[in-house]
Amino acid sequence: MAVRASTLDRRFTERGGRERQRRADLLPYALLLPSIALIVAIVLNPLATGIYYSLNEGSLLRLDGFVGLANYRNLLGMPDFRHAMKFSALFAACSVAGSYLMGLGLALLLNQEIPGRAFFRVALLLPWVIPSIVSIASWRWLIADQNGLVNQALGLVDVGPIFFLSTGDSAMFSVIMIKIWRSFPFMMVSCLAALQSIDRDIYEAARIDGAGRWQSFRDITMPQIFGISVVMWILMTIWSVNDFETPWLLTQGGPSNATENLIVLAYKYTFTRNDVGTGSAIAVVSMIILMTLALLLLRKQRDEQ
Amino acid sequence: MATVSAVSATRRRAFPFGKRALSVVLLAIVVVVDLPIIMMILNSLRRTDEILSGGLLPRAPSLANYQYLIERTPFWTYFGNSVLVAGGATAMTIVVAALAGYALSRYRGRAITGYSRLLLLVQMFPLILTLIPLFILFRELNLVNTRTSVLLLYAVVHLPFATWMFKAFFDAIPRELEEAAQVDGASRIGAFWRIVLRLSGPGIAAVTIFSLLFSYNEYLIASIFLRDEDKMTIPVGVQMFMQQFQTDWGSLMAAATLAMLPTAIFLLFVQKSMVYGSVAGSVKG
Repeated sequence: MAVRASTLDRRFTERGGRERQRRADLLPYALLLPSIALIVAIVLNPLATGIYYSLNEGSLLRLDGFVGLANYRNLLGMPDFRHAMKFSALFAACSVAGSYLMGLGLALLLNQEIPGRAFFRVALLLPWVIPSIVSIASWRWLIADQNGLVNQALGLVDVGPIFFLSTGDSAMFSVIMIKIWRSFPFMMVSCLAALQSIDRDIYEAARIDGAGRWQSFRDITMPQIFGISVVMWILMTIWSVNDFETPWLLTQGGPSNATENLIVLAYKYTFTRNDVGTGSAIAVVSMIILMTLALLLLRKQRDEQ
Repeated sequence: MATVSAVSATRRRAFPFGKRALSVVLLAIVVVVDLPIIMMILNSLRRTDEILSGGLLPRAPSLANYQYLIERTPFWTYFGNSVLVAGGATAMTIVVAALAGYALSRYRGRAITGYSRLLLLVQMFPLILTLIPLFILFRELNLVNTRTSVLLLYAVVHLPFATWMFKAFFDAIPRELEEAAQVDGASRIGAFWRIVLRLSGPGIAAVTIFSLLFSYNEYLIASIFLRDEDKMTIPVGVQMFMQQFQTDWGSLMAAATLAMLPTAIFLLFVQKSMVYGSVAGSVKG
């Protein structure tokens, strides 16, 4: 594809002659200008300012002075920062694994011609498209209350009630489960698209050679979708590390600080505790993590193409 | 003979037993997976004391919760704000992203590659890092508590995804068409405007709906910049309900159900390109 496009490109400019070429050379910049202006104003400039804030002490009202890397040094000794690092990693790992397994499983089912397939696909996409606040509100009723559905069900078998959002471990478990629930549809549609691009003749040939279902899944399906799967894993890792809404709306980071990830912690330091230096430093740390992942993604995509 | 052909005719229409069994299994999975949503809708039709008394189905379904919500709370104000912000941000995204997407689709070069990388950065970096300085900056500019601030931010945050989608749609349009138009005397911009955009109707529709969906759902930016009740969008408003109505599950479930409705409708429109959109978002660096 890329090769074809570039030859077309050359033909296009060569035919136009020099005058046309010079004009055509300016056009792409003109086309990019509005978006570059927006990105500079709304992203790059604040980004630089944010990095500068992380080297200062101060509140949302005024900066109190340059402190160099002191904010970063302080982070290392802060138990809540270390916990947030660990929770971010756990949250991302579990979300990726859980949503991928669930999404792949459902994609394999939906990849067959069964009655009602279109309906199932739409119904399974719902958790992904509804507003985060709606997912959290609906899940809260299932788990938050003594009378919630899960505890009603547990009551039938004489277990519980479990107050899911009251202890650290069960709150972490709940936040992760809900994140998986909100994320699996992305994995499902992406896996489905990958599955549908596999040439069916390969399966036919394998069947004739006597391969069973499990064998063709392991030796054909998985190798065929592995490349795109890695891209999806990295993307989901990035989105999970970056997720604010799931933990914040469900638990506000609590109980105590059990479900605080880096983003929630940066938000709390800045907007609740009014400590802009520390908040910005935490945000910069999460940016470094995310950019490393993004570079990994870029390299992976280049390998794919 | 006749029976044989009748059997094969029905078999062509009906699915074999195994497929139908699989369908039943999937239906069960869908009910379990969508249970939070199903229960939310059912509970929105029950009074709070009935919800707390257990059971699954409404004994006497009523719209009382919705009536309360619409008459006694600023729900429609939130909804109006959401429409304004999402509509404005989408219009802005469409224009800016279509231009950039066209550049990415038709040109190669160092600047284009650099711009691509920049988009990836915008897509991946932690929003919170820019929200801190933007909050301080917008306060000085008196933009905090305005819908404009949120609208601007949405347009930029959604820009990478919209640009990649546009690029993919434009890639599918043969450039011979533009060359032909230029031979007929159209300018490059004219060819883009009259040929490419006109052929991209479905693409523009898809980007529009994805952008509306994103802006309508967004919580973090809105919660930081919209502090007064008369400026709040739906997610922030419903979050207020969640705090205020902590024990009034009926009203909260009605609010959440209403908030969900537009997104469910969007989903019906884009479900075909959802597969496509997610892949465009994930594969196009």
